[in-house]
Amino acid sequence: MNTKKRDRLEVIFDILDLISKNHNSIKPTPLLRYSNLSSTSFSEYYTELTSKGFIKEIIDSKGKKYITLTDKGFKYLEKYRLILGFIDEFEL
Amino acid sequence: MPPPHFFDPIVFGTELVFTIIAFIFCFAIYYKTRESYELTKHAGIRYFRDAFLFFGLSYIMRFLFSLVLFSRMAFDFFIPREMFVPLFILPLGYLSTIAIFYLIFSLVWKRVNNQKILILGHLIAILLPLLAFLTRTPMLLLYMQTALLMIAILLVFLIRKGKKRLSKTKILYLLVFGLWLINLFIIDSKRPFPPEIEILFRAVSLIVFVMIYYKVNKWAR
Repeated sequence: MNTKKRDRLEVIFDILDLISKNHNSIKPTPLLRYSNLSSTSFSEYYTELTSKGFIKEIIDSKGKKYITLTDKGFKYLEKYRLILGFIDEFEL
Repeated sequence: MPPPHFFDPIVFGTELVFTIIAFIFCFAIYYKTRESYELTKHAGIRYFRDAFLFFGLSYIMRFLFSLVLFSRMAFDFFIPREMFVPLFILPLGYLSTIAIFYLIFSLVWKRVNNQKILILGHLIAILLPLLAFLTRTPMLLLYMQTALLMIAILLVFLIRKGKKRLSKTKILYLLVFGLWLINLFIIDSKRPFPPEIEILFRAVSLIVFVMIYYKVNKWAR
């Protein structure tokens, strides 16, 4: 298990990646659980990602709330992947 | 080798071309990483890109400094030493020291992220050229930068214990630092190496910048 403390960028990447890997639709509670964050931290990241337009909430016909990536979110997920590669390559 | 007492257009031309290419690549590295930084505000990316901006400006200042030396050979006028030393040594010393400091800091900022260390870096970058100016020994800057670099490299190896000791990136960084010091040494009016060796050092310097740019370009598309 990777016990290294994730930095902000890695957390954002992990959240976006989790949504993407769940067929771009995940409920808030499993997302909180899988993201390994405290509810306070998760709430901060969630607000940030929503305000940046990377994720959005959708409510299905049964009234259940899901979180999905926007087009901008997909675009940035790909960018973040490259940026993490860049950071790793230059040991930043 | 005796100091040249004549204006050599080939030496001047290679110096000019080298400076332009080095600056273009340094600036390209800075520009290519802009989006990555703006998107993430990652401190390591900021130190990395600022380091190359400062290196680019250092090479420009280095060329301007050598231009003064050339002007003494080529033209009737010459700028008095009392004027050109503070005019060129102070910005050259500051920019190059801070470039070295930022590139090293980009490797260790997570472990020593402290504003005081950044301020100390700027103070050292001001102090080194100031000492060179006050003692009227421009070469002192080179000696102090070499000593500072050795200490910094030792600290990086100690701080990053457990990490891969000598990666390709670190080898490239060592080359950037080493070649900067050699290129600074070259512009000394005594010109210690034959022109062919000077050209070789410049060519290797450019190859190193191209390699770093290529690595940056791979990720910052």
